[in-house]
Amino acid sequence: MPSNGHNGHAAEAVVLTQAQVQEDLQEKHERSRGQTFRVAVGLFSVLLVLGIIGFILRVVDGVSDTAKWGYYAAAFAFVLSTAGAAPMVAIAPRIAKAHWPRPISRSAELFSIVGLFNLLVFIPLLWVLPPLEQGRRTLWFFGSVGEPVPNYSPHIWATLAMLALVVVGVLLVWMSALPDIAALRDRLPQGTRKQKMYAWLARGWKGTSAQWFMQKHRLGILGAFYFAMLIFLHFLISVDFLMTLVPGWIDALYPATHVANALQGGVASVMLTMVIMRQWGGYKNEIGLDQFWGLGKLLFALSLLWIWFFFSSFIIFWFGKKPNEVSVIELFIKGPYLPIFYAEFVLTFFFPLVFMIWNPIRKSIWGPTILSIAVLAGTFFGRIRMYVASYSVADQSALHAIETVPATVMPGIADVFIVLGVIGGSILTYLLASRIIPIMSIWEKKEMLMYEVHRPLHRIHVRILGKPD
Amino acid sequence: MQEHVQLNSKEVNDILLKDVLGMPKWWLPAVLFFLVVFLAGGAAFGYMLNKGVGVTGLNRPVMWGFFMVNFVFWIGISHAGIMISAILRLTQAEWRRPLTRAAEVLTVFSLTSALMAAPLVHVGRPWRAALWVFPYDFERGVWPNVRSAFVWDPSAVMTYLTASTLFVIIALLPDLAIIRDRTTGTAHKVYSLLCLGWRGTPRQWKLQAVAGILLSALVLPVFVSVHSIVSWDFAVQVGVEGWHSTIFAPYFIIGAIHSGVSAVATVMVLMVWLYKWQKILTPDHLDAIGRLLIIVATIWFFAFFLEWVFALYTLEDPELALRELQVFKHPWMALFIVFLITAYFFPVPMWMFKKVRRNMFWMFVTTISVNIGMWLERFLIIVLGLARRQAFTFDWGTYHPSMIEILMVIATFAWVMFGMLVFAKVFPLIPLFDIKEGMVGGPHKIKIGRKEIPASIHE
Repeated sequence: MPSNGHNGHAAEAVVLTQAQVQEDLQEKHERSRGQTFRVAVGLFSVLLVLGIIGFILRVVDGVSDTAKWGYYAAAFAFVLSTAGAAPMVAIAPRIAKAHWPRPISRSAELFSIVGLFNLLVFIPLLWVLPPLEQGRRTLWFFGSVGEPVPNYSPHIWATLAMLALVVVGVLLVWMSALPDIAALRDRLPQGTRKQKMYAWLARGWKGTSAQWFMQKHRLGILGAFYFAMLIFLHFLISVDFLMTLVPGWIDALYPATHVANALQGGVASVMLTMVIMRQWGGYKNEIGLDQFWGLGKLLFALSLLWIWFFFSSFIIFWFGKKPNEVSVIELFIKGPYLPIFYAEFVLTFFFPLVFMIWNPIRKSIWGPTILSIAVLAGTFFGRIRMYVASYSVADQSALHAIETVPATVMPGIADVFIVLGVIGGSILTYLLASRIIPIMSIWEKKEMLMYEVHRPLHRIHVRILGKPD
Repeated sequence: MQEHVQLNSKEVNDILLKDVLGMPKWWLPAVLFFLVVFLAGGAAFGYMLNKGVGVTGLNRPVMWGFFMVNFVFWIGISHAGIMISAILRLTQAEWRRPLTRAAEVLTVFSLTSALMAAPLVHVGRPWRAALWVFPYDFERGVWPNVRSAFVWDPSAVMTYLTASTLFVIIALLPDLAIIRDRTTGTAHKVYSLLCLGWRGTPRQWKLQAVAGILLSALVLPVFVSVHSIVSWDFAVQVGVEGWHSTIFAPYFIIGAIHSGVSAVATVMVLMVWLYKWQKILTPDHLDAIGRLLIIVATIWFFAFFLEWVFALYTLEDPELALRELQVFKHPWMALFIVFLITAYFFPVPMWMFKKVRRNMFWMFVTTISVNIGMWLERFLIIVLGLARRQAFTFDWGTYHPSMIEILMVIATFAWVMFGMLVFAKVFPLIPLFDIKEGMVGGPHKIKIGRKEIPASIHE
C-alpha cells in the first residue's frame, strides 16, 4: 500500500480514484450544513451585532478624537493582517509548484472574501484619519515638495488599493473554484435556484483544454497581482494610517515589518482553519501531517523574519538616540504599552522559537496548531500596541518629534464590542462563503493523483512527485 | 544545448574528475595571469604601507572609499554560497545539486577578499588588527568597544568564514575519497589525509547528511547576521545623511543575495564554457536561477524604493540635499543612472524571457551587469554619504580613487578567480555524490497523457 504519510509516518489514507475524490468531497461540501455550523453562524452573528452596537456607541462620540478610534483601527488592521494575508498560503506554493498545499489552498483563498467585510470596516476610518491640511506628515509630501497634493490623498489612494485587493481576491477565489462550481452545477437538480446560481457562477465552464489553460494562466496572474496589491496596501496603511500620526517616527522598514507580521498571521489563520476542518469538518483523511509540517516550517521562518525586522528597526533607534527616536521607543516599547509589547514578543517570537526547533513538536498536528493560536494572539497584541498608541498621539502636526508620550488608552465597553464584532463578522463572512464555494479544492486534489507515483527503489518504496513546466 | 542527461556513476566521475586528475591547457596561463595581477595589488599594498594612506584618494570628508566599497561588495557576493546551499538544501530544491560547491567556494574566497579589503587594507595599519583581540593597554583599561559595529564585524565575518569552510569540507569528504582511490604516490597520501578515512559506510553517509542539514540550519542566522552587521557599520551612525536608516539590514541582505546569486550564475556559465560540463549544468539550471533572480531582484528593488521614500519623508534638508546630489549632480548622476540600469532595469526585463534565461551568453552578460550595478550601489551609498558638502566644515574635498586603490580592488577580483581556479584543479567544483544522488532511480519523469513531465523523489 503506498504511503500517504511523511518520512516514514504511517499511511493515513488509501489512494482514491479521481471519481471517488470528486464524489467524496462534493458530498462533504453538501452535508457540512449541520448543527455545529448553524451554532457557529448564530454565535458569530451575535458577535457581529455586538460590534454594531459598539460602533454606534463610538460614532456618538464623534470622529474628531483619533484616540477613541485606536481599537477600531487595530481591529481593522488585525483582520487585514490575518485574513488579507491568508490567501498567500495558496498563492506562493502554487507559483513554486509545491503539491502539499493542495488540500488547504481553497481554505486559504476563501479568506479573500473576508476582505469584503473588512472593506466596510475600513470606511469609517476615512472619517477618522485627519486630512492633510491639519499639518500632519504624509507619504504624499503634502505642501513640502512641489505643488500641494489633494488634501485627502491618503484617503483616496488607500481606498483604491483596498478596493483593488478585495476585487482581485474575489476574482482569485472565483477563478480557482470555477471547475468545482461547474461540477456542483452539474450535480444539482436542473432548474433549482441553487443550480441556477452555480450555472451563472460557472460561466459556461466545460473543462476544455483551452479553459484549463486559461484558468491556470489567470490564477498565476491574479496570484501575483494579489501579492503586489497586498504589499502596496500594507505599505499605504502602515504609513498613512499609522506612521504619519506619530511625528518623528521615520522607519523605512516598518511597512515590511507590517507585511511580515501579516504573513505570520495569515499562515496562523490557515493553520487554525485546517484544524477546525480536520476535527469538526470531516476532512481528517485529506488534511494530514504534510500540511501541518509545511505550514509549521513557514510559520517558524516568518517568526524569525519578524524578529529580525523588529530588531533591525530597534537597534537603529536605540543607537541613534535622536530625540524623535527616543520618544518612539518610549511610545511603542518602553512606555505605556510595555506589557503588551512583552505579550507580543513572547507569543509572536519566543514561543515559536523555543518550541518549533524541536522535531517532535514541529512534525505534529497539535504543536503547530497551538503555536498558531499564540501567533494570532501575538499579532492581535501587536496591532493593538501600534495602532492604539499611534492614534492616541494628540498633536500630530509637530514636525520632528512628539512632545509628550501619551498615557495608555484602556479599552472601553464600546471598544470591546467593536473588536468582538469585527472578528466575529469576519469569521461569519468566511463561514457563509464556505457554504457556496467548496472549502477544499476538488480539482486540485484530483490533479494531485496524476502527479503522484509510487515506485520501488532498491528495498524501499518512494513517492515520486511530478512538477509541470 | 542539451537538457537532462542520465549518467551512471562512472560517467559522472569521468566528467567531473577529468580536470582534477589532468590539466586543461588554458589553466596554467590563466592562473599565472591572475596571480600576477594579485601580486601587483600586493605590491600596491606594500607601497601604501611604506608611504601611508596618503597615497590613496581618501581625504576629508571622504575617509571611506574603494576599500570599504569593495569590502561590502565581497561580503555581498559571499552570500551566494549559503543562499544556494543552505536554503535550497533545506527546501529540497533539486536544481541546486550542481551549483552548491561552486557557490560555497565562491563564498569562502569572497570572504577572504572582504577581509583583505577592510580589516587588512582599509585600516592602513593592519598589524593593529591584533589589538582588537589583545587590547594594547591593560593599565589604562583601554578595551575594544563591544558596543561598536566595528567589533561585531570581524566576529561575524570570521564566524561566517569558519562555518562556510566547514560546509565545504563536510560536502567534500565523499568526493575526496573518490580522488584518493584514483591517485597514487604523494597525491594519494594527501587525499587520504584530507578525506578523514571516508569509506562510504551507512553510518558515515548518515553523519555526513545530518551534518549538512545541521550546518545549513545553523549557518542561516550567521548568514543573516553578517550583512546585517555590515549594514549597521553605516546605519547606526547619525552623523551621515543617507546611512541612518532602519531598512539597511534587510536592504543589504537582499542586495547581497541579488549580487551573490548573480555571481553564481556567472560562475556556472564559466564552468560550462571552460570545463565543458554541459551534461551536468543544463539550461534548466540557468532557467531556475534566472527565475529566482527575478524574485530576488524585485524584492531588492522594493527595499531600494522604501529606502528612498523614507529618505524624502524625513523632510530634513541635509537628507534631501544628499538625494539631490545623487540624482542631479555630475558625475554622480551618470553613475546613478548606470547603477539603476545595470542592477535592475536591464537584467530583470531580460530574465522575463525564457530564451534569455536558458541562454549561456545572455545569462553571463546580465549577471555581470548586476554585479557592476551592485558595486556602484555600494559606491553611491558610501562615498556620496560622506562627500556631501556640509555647512560649517573646512574640508569640502571630494573623492578621486588613486591608482593604488584601483590596483588593490582589481587584485581582489584576481584573488577570487585565482582561488577558484586552483580549487577546481585540486578538488571537484561540482559535488560528485550530489549529482549521483540526483541520478538515482533513473530519469525522473511522469507520463501524463502524451506528455512527460520532470519529477523528483520524495521519501
